[in-house]
Amino acid sequence: MTVDHIPSVADRRGSAPAPGPVTSRPHTSIATRRHRAFYMFASPWIIGFALLTIAPMAYALWLSFTTFDGISPRWHYVGFGNYRELFSDSQTWKSLGRTGLFAITSVPLSIIAGLGLAVLVNRPLKARGLFRTLLYLPAVVPPVGAGIAFKQLFDQNSGAANGVLNVFGIDALGWLADPYARYVLIMTVLWTAGNIMIISLAGLQDIPRELLEAARIDGASAWRSFRSITVPLLSPVLLFQTVTGVIASVQTIMPLLLAPDPTPAGITALPQSNYLYMMHVFAEYFAFGRYGYASALLWVLFVLILVATGLIFKATSGVVFYNVDPEAKK
Amino acid sequence: MTATSLTPKRGPRLRVNRLVLYTVLVAITGLFLGPFGWLVISGLKTPAELAASPVHWLPDHVQWHNIADAFNLIDFLGYARNSLIIALIYATLVTLSSAWVGFGFARLEAPGKKTLFAILLGSMMLPQMITLLPTYLIFAKLGMVDTYWPWVLWGLSSAPYLVFLFRQFFAGLPRELEEAAIVDGCGYSAIFWRIFLPQSWPVLSASFVIAFTWTWGDYIAPQLLLSTDRTTLAVAVMSTYVTSAGTPVTNLQAAASVMYVVPILLIFLVAQRGFVAGMSTTGLK
Repeated sequence: MTVDHIPSVADRRGSAPAPGPVTSRPHTSIATRRHRAFYMFASPWIIGFALLTIAPMAYALWLSFTTFDGISPRWHYVGFGNYRELFSDSQTWKSLGRTGLFAITSVPLSIIAGLGLAVLVNRPLKARGLFRTLLYLPAVVPPVGAGIAFKQLFDQNSGAANGVLNVFGIDALGWLADPYARYVLIMTVLWTAGNIMIISLAGLQDIPRELLEAARIDGASAWRSFRSITVPLLSPVLLFQTVTGVIASVQTIMPLLLAPDPTPAGITALPQSNYLYMMHVFAEYFAFGRYGYASALLWVLFVLILVATGLIFKATSGVVFYNVDPEAKK
Repeated sequence: MTATSLTPKRGPRLRVNRLVLYTVLVAITGLFLGPFGWLVISGLKTPAELAASPVHWLPDHVQWHNIADAFNLIDFLGYARNSLIIALIYATLVTLSSAWVGFGFARLEAPGKKTLFAILLGSMMLPQMITLLPTYLIFAKLGMVDTYWPWVLWGLSSAPYLVFLFRQFFAGLPRELEEAAIVDGCGYSAIFWRIFLPQSWPVLSASFVIAFTWTWGDYIAPQLLLSTDRTTLAVAVMSTYVTSAGTPVTNLQAAASVMYVVPILLIFLVAQRGFVAGMSTTGLK
């Protein structure tokens, strides 16, 4: 059999391993053809991943050992200099601490909120679809829109938040400055809990009705069956939400969008509590043009995320319950 | 333990429960819509009303002209066109390339496929920012800064999340679909274009909407890669509403950000049904 229908791209792929022994298949030629076809189909991602992910990361790794600032013609290799500086830079540690605090508060809160909403809108309600849509809506609002909306809402003078406090006789708070800025940041995350709601909802609807019915016959309370059936069956979804939530919270640019001055130079003037690790990277990168140092910061962050993700998986390995469905989970 | 009746309980207690449930839901929905509602109101005030302390709840006269002013103070349509071009380029290319790659992962076998798939899934956990800053430096060297080429390249290289979406969908289609075609001597690319792609409208539209929304909402990449003229609405709305003296015009910024957000809300509302269908057929959870 010929391979004339398959462009030669597959043949030119250097990283494609030679088709291995194909003993288990009745028609070797068909198997070979499928191997080549697989690499032809996977090639956009393989090439893209190599050029647009691996290459930039390798470049960043190289830069992290230099004093490159993007402008000066003279820059040099400094070995682990940037990394040494990073470890003695109090801003690194402080911003890392704030980022960790932000992640461990905002992620569980938004997962609880999203799951709570999912349980609510999973009930037989009138206008259920409308509630679902309206609660999901903030999740599609682009970050810039959300940033401006929250800036108006929490403005010290003209914001509705202080207007409401005023009704109760409470003095206006400086929401967007310390110490309250961190709470506004968490609220921006909670505002998009509809995202988690939608995915949890799909998970809820997959729980076999018979299980819940059986629990009810056995006299289990609603809370008990939620705890003993719903949560364990939903645990893979919750794990997915935790991992993606942590990664998203580490990368949030919301502090920048909430800043009075959203330019790179304004990053350094952020309220202390919202000066997260990524803001520190931006400041070093844009405000000070220290590309080498910022690259070192990014690589440290990358390693920390890998470690954190690994720890999350490890910590939950005994708790997360995978439904035995060999086709769906691979 | 007392026996519980299987028939739903009716009566005053249930009605009170339902009343509480609806009250809670309406209250939460109100809270969720609040920030956006406030943005709309802010965009229809005069600057004095917007700066008033304590808060001036509603505008005395609705300042409709703010909308026109927000259009005219900056080249709103120009920026919107830039956003639209980038979002269309990226969403179209990435949807096709992700479907293409997803087909490979769903329907074909090859040594190394499992490892590649693990890398693909793992790369979803990779913070975008980590690659974006060095990418900027590389694109700068290649002379691609201030062009839309990066979006073309990103689009062509597919997105792991969307690949996963398509892979899940294609894996669920019956095997007979391609078997007959193979017997007839059809190549896999013909099978993809003629048989699988036409079957996957729900996922195609979900993917397109997701990718369009990403690009329309993205702030960092255009901020990094594009000059003030060629940049997108996201960047323009954030940073260009200033008077010649440099003071920000917040009421116009609010009006403009409403106009910036509305297209996404409309796309979502229109595509909602198909979007949810697309997400659920893929079994993405």
